[in-house]
Amino acid sequence: MEAELQRVGRAVEAELQRIGRLIHAAFPGRGLNPLRALDHKAMELASQDMELRAALFRFVDVTPACRSLDDLARHLTGYLDEVDARPPPLEAAMKMSGTKAGRAALGAAAAAGVRRMAHRFIVGETPRAALRSIRDLWEHGAAVSLDLLGETTVTEAEADHYAARCVDALETLAAAAPRWPGRPVLEADSLGPLPRVNLSAKVSALTPLLRPEAPELGREDAARRMRPVLARAKELGAHLHIDMESVDTQEATLDLVFELLDEPELRDGPSAGIVIQAYLRESPEQLERVIDWARGTGRRPPLVVRLVKGAYWDQEVVEARQHGWTPPVFEAKRESDRNFEVLTRRLLESWPYLRPAIASHNLRSVAHAVAYNRELGREHRELELQVLRGLGDDLAAALTQHGMRVRVYCPVGDLVAGMAYLVRRLLENTANESFLGEQQRGTPIEELLAAP
Amino acid sequence: MTVSEHTTAGFRNEPILELRRAPARESLLAALRELDAKLPLKVPVVIGGDRGAAEGIDSTDPGAPERLVARAGRASEEDAAAAVEVAVRGFREWGARPAVERAEALRGAAARLRERRLELAALQVRECAKPWGEADADVCEAIDFLEYYAREAIELDRGRPILQAPGERNTMRYVPRGVTAVISPWNFPLAIPCGMTAAALATGNAVVLKPAEQSPGSAGALADALYGAGVPPDALALVPGYGDAGAALVRDPRVHVIAFTGSGAVGLEILRSAAETLEGQDHVKRVVSEMGGKNCVIVDSDADLDDAVPEIVYSAFGYAGQKCSAAARVLVHEATADTLVERLAGAVNVLTVGQAESFATEVPPVIERESQERVMSHRASAADHLAASAEPVPERGWFVPPSVVVGLPEDSPVNREEIFGPLLAVTTVRDVDEAMDVIDSLPFALTGGLFSRSPATVERVAARSPVGNLYVNRGITGAMVGRQPFGGNRRSGSGAKAGGPDYLLQFVEPRVVTENTMRHGIPVE
Ligand SMILES: Cc1cc2nc3c(=O)[nH]c(=O)nc-3n(C[C@H](O)[C@H](O)[C@H](O)COP(=O)(O)OP(=O)(O)OC[C@H]3O[C@@H](n4cnc5c(N)ncnc54)[C@H](O)[C@@H]3O)c2cc1C
Repeated sequence: MEAELQRVGRAVEAELQRIGRLIHAAFPGRGLNPLRALDHKAMELASQDMELRAALFRFVDVTPACRSLDDLARHLTGYLDEVDARPPPLEAAMKMSGTKAGRAALGAAAAAGVRRMAHRFIVGETPRAALRSIRDLWEHGAAVSLDLLGETTVTEAEADHYAARCVDALETLAAAAPRWPGRPVLEADSLGPLPRVNLSAKVSALTPLLRPEAPELGREDAARRMRPVLARAKELGAHLHIDMESVDTQEATLDLVFELLDEPELRDGPSAGIVIQAYLRESPEQLERVIDWARGTGRRPPLVVRLVKGAYWDQEVVEARQHGWTPPVFEAKRESDRNFEVLTRRLLESWPYLRPAIASHNLRSVAHAVAYNRELGREHRELELQVLRGLGDDLAAALTQHGMRVRVYCPVGDLVAGMAYLVRRLLENTANESFLGEQQRGTPIEELLAAP
Repeated sequence: MTVSEHTTAGFRNEPILELRRAPARESLLAALRELDAKLPLKVPVVIGGDRGAAEGIDSTDPGAPERLVARAGRASEEDAAAAVEVAVRGFREWGARPAVERAEALRGAAARLRERRLELAALQVRECAKPWGEADADVCEAIDFLEYYAREAIELDRGRPILQAPGERNTMRYVPRGVTAVISPWNFPLAIPCGMTAAALATGNAVVLKPAEQSPGSAGALADALYGAGVPPDALALVPGYGDAGAALVRDPRVHVIAFTGSGAVGLEILRSAAETLEGQDHVKRVVSEMGGKNCVIVDSDADLDDAVPEIVYSAFGYAGQKCSAAARVLVHEATADTLVERLAGAVNVLTVGQAESFATEVPPVIERESQERVMSHRASAADHLAASAEPVPERGWFVPPSVVVGLPEDSPVNREEIFGPLLAVTTVRDVDEAMDVIDSLPFALTGGLFSRSPATVERVAARSPVGNLYVNRGITGAMVGRQPFGGNRRSGSGAKAGGPDYLLQFVEPRVVTENTMRHGIPVE
């Protein structure tokens, strides 16, 4: 038994290294687009200096709340003022801000910069406006999950509005999707058809009542609004995926999904999915709970489980430290990476009760999933790989080239709604330990693919 | 801005319970069931170790007024005098003990509270209708005060370094003042009496503790913990009672320090009474007072409303607005006023009003009938300006619907007086400077808030704001011992910061000794 496990481990590792290099070789070239090069430059500056990083991101964050170009420029210089060592272009910006005309010019330039950056991560202000980009991706061999950005839901009206936006997004996509060309890899696995229309939704947006110490309150309120969204998805043959947020909302989220999906009207659709976050210490138990549920339910089609590392790491750690709690997340990145691989194997082994979706930009994490899927004797199409628009574009292109099933998570919303999301992505992109950061610094492939 | 850190060796805040975990919630509900089986608690007057009858004061559940939570003795003026008499004796012995030994006793009391923390939180749920999260935080704060002051007192006992010149030795030390009367409120029924008592005891004073008549149960638990940990019966008396007992303590010529937290009216009366030097009084009384507030939150045009709305709602309506730090007014920039009011109103409309024992409850009943009537009458006076209200509220219990009123004339009493209930007034201002003018025109200066993402604005408001505790881009309640030393300025208090490095100084007298070390022209060191 032990020897067999070791053999499998070695085989997977070898296959992983091979696949990882193949994918890496297929990454599109860099630096073709000058605007993109500029963004890279800004990101590079931000990753080198933590003070500067904070200043720039605080500026991005406040942009939609500024009332004029002058106001924008004042905020920008206010943040830069707190940076000790300013690189020359920013020093020049500080000088410009001395005059009204200078501030107007600076504000305009900065606003354009933020808009451009936002556009990299956010496909459009509305689902309709995003249709072109979505079709483009589809034609290039990648499916999409649409995500509706929004402000924090604090009122009933906001929750109702979000639910209405969900239905509108489903309908807009469903109206457009039949006109897309056939893409067999994206449209079925051996368990059956895969919906062309795919929407990701957040429980916290569906209720103002979600509170960590009283999960049932928010759960019931969100269920009331999610039911019609699920019903509409079922009618339209669409997939609805429930994102996972911070630990504070996690119990309510999982309970809600299981409760709704077990309701008689929803037992034969729509296709639905949840998220497991591998940075959580208790994620192995959570996955077991999901597997138990999936084995026990007769529901069809099978639940999709998106495996991620988790997007709220800093928040979880700071909150726990402030309260004197043990953080619910691993504190060394390699532990998250390692756990991600453990959960990947467990998830792939629970097929066909669950459909696996591996969401990561980390070449090692992704190649590991592909290799293990092979080891289990399955074809590429039984495994979905997911990336975020703006962060995983190159990876998505490389994966589709190799005939793998890729889905790009595409946020939609205006600048105000999108800011929190944008800042999170920027932070992630410039975090020292992030895979994308390593990759941008030119870390050699051996290290990128090294076991965590 | 550079930030320096004062660390108190080995101190760390007691972790609050992780209520997002179901087992933590279940453990509290179990503690509540156990407590219910023991009610009513008996809290006698305790003087010199003699326990009187537990009769005279009934404390009831604000959410179910027919439920008797504690029966307490009612200390008379004579009891107060007797307690002081014993404390004078107790002081001689306790004040002479080494600081380390006293600190040991306080830390022992912290350990006892820690052991009973679930039960003590449950007691606050019943006795004061404090929702779980806040009840638990109050118990933790009480533990923090004991641990923090115990350590700070040892530090203070070392004295302060001062300049030395050749031929002389200068020392500066701090000694206890004497008998301290602690007069505490019901809204933090364990933490506040514990903080004032612990500070006085840690520095070597004897204490006569007169807790609020609404919450004798928690005070009884505090006294038990202190006695159990070795504080001598003569060094601490417990005199539950009404205003007459408190007034007698304040007047007593043998009392040196009066530590008071409560309403402005009572606080000013205490200051007046304590200023009078009576026949046979050989000292000037020191009053440490924490009084009311009319706490304002400024929302600038660049504020992130996603943060501001929930933080304001919690600051204003958590524990039904019955914290001295609670938000009473919002001063919002005209550019963002409409959006803020709309979102704030929507958020208030969905507040969960209910019994404190339910984890879903955000707004519990207020403490007693008079409070309910006071808040309701203020609310009625502003009825034309009502923008939101979470209704209906339960029939049984002293409930008040949490409400937002908008655009009252500046001189409306709702804008100027401390209401101490779930009523929030929103005023639109031209800019942050106008907001600061409004704040300057109020007599209070306890806490304040600012939501702004401009470093320049944050700096400007911090420099100009008179408040004792200014919170930027977060809620304005929930000060933590050692992290947010707490207390108000102007008419809000005497400025001492509870849970901070200066607090103990109010309970001691500095003494400087200068010794000539020259003998026949030869320095003897
Ligand atoms: C399609 C898609 C959907 C997603 N949906 C969700 C979702 O619903 N909910 C959600 O939370 N996230 C979601 N994410 C985000 C995801 O959780 C990660 O934040 C992101 O993908 C980065 O992880 P990585 O594997 O790509 O990169 P890597 O660089 O390999 O990993 C970065 C991640 O490692 C973890 N980490 C970083 N530092 C440490 C440390 N010191 N100790 C322990 N762990 C650390 C963090 O999770 C961090 O995000 C999604 C991602 C994608 C691609």
